[in-house]
Amino acid sequence: MSAHVLVIIPAWNEATNLEAVVTELQRVRPVDDLLVVDDGSTDATAATAQRLGCRVLELPLHLGYGAAIQAGIKHGLRRGYPVVVTFDGDGQHDPADVAPLVAAVDAGADLVLGSRYEAPGAYRGTQVRQAGRHLFAQLVRALTGFRLTDPTSGLKALGHRGQTLFALARFPDRFPDADALVLAGRARLRVEERPACMRPSRNRHSMHDGRAIAYIFNMLFSLLAAALGREADLKV
Amino acid sequence: MPLRQKIFFLGIALVLFLLILELVRRRRLRVEYSWIWLASAVTIVLLILRYDALIWLTTLVGAAIPTSTLFFLCILYLALLCLDYSVRLSTLTREVKELAQELALLRLEAAERERENDRDRP
Repeated sequence: MSAHVLVIIPAWNEATNLEAVVTELQRVRPVDDLLVVDDGSTDATAATAQRLGCRVLELPLHLGYGAAIQAGIKHGLRRGYPVVVTFDGDGQHDPADVAPLVAAVDAGADLVLGSRYEAPGAYRGTQVRQAGRHLFAQLVRALTGFRLTDPTSGLKALGHRGQTLFALARFPDRFPDADALVLAGRARLRVEERPACMRPSRNRHSMHDGRAIAYIFNMLFSLLAAALGREADLKV
Repeated sequence: MPLRQKIFFLGIALVLFLLILELVRRRRLRVEYSWIWLASAVTIVLLILRYDALIWLTTLVGAAIPTSTLFFLCILYLALLCLDYSVRLSTLTREVKELAQELALLRLEAAERERENDRDRP
């Protein structure tokens, strides 16, 4: 008998951070199933996850963040989990924020985002990132009508339709953020937001501002593709 | 076009043509990729036989000399070829991603089943 919630933790060379993240999750959410997606790590990520008692999905190649969580979501769909939560492996997210997200999905939402702007005192990152988030929040609002504050949040809870959308072959598989929300809007998913207390990432190779700017340009193109893509690719 | 030039370019077209046939014959090049290269060889031959067509095209696009028309067409052709490769690479990237995901999913499935069997064994 599988649990109600599957928590997916994408991890790429996170052997040093993973233990703290997983043990905290296990303590706060003891009944959830944990799935670590090892995204082609060259360190002991998979072994660490196994030792901690997680289920491990070992990708044979490094596919990147979006494709890693997509692989995890495919597993969740096949096992029929009512709720799948994506939870970063670098210590950014707080397990205490998972419960309200899951409750929102249980109440009928298809996709729920954890927002740092709904949570007072949450870590917000540098000015460049804040500006980027604001830009995408406005674009998402213009394209879908969703009033979301933190469209780049990696903390998400997905119901069945949300999982199906994320598992599509045409799904944006680099960083499924604002473009994913536009697709969710076009597929008429119910999207909501709940407060989430973000913390600074423990990861040394987390995105710095230079890459954040490249990300903004990539995301603008990806948004365009999401907004103009064929309707037939969006059957959820 | 002087005879010497004609012979030289005919030679090049012939070598290209034979190379493509040989690659397809040895299955180093897939048939569906070969036609574009065969078309290139044929274009060279056509340009040798009908040099006046190039001159006509030059006046049509308003270029100063036939050579620049030729170079322009070559660059355009190569750019389109690169674009085609980018499309193919994108398709391959998506396919490799899906295969890698499927491999990982099936491996996990198999490992869990094995563990279950071990547990059931007395």
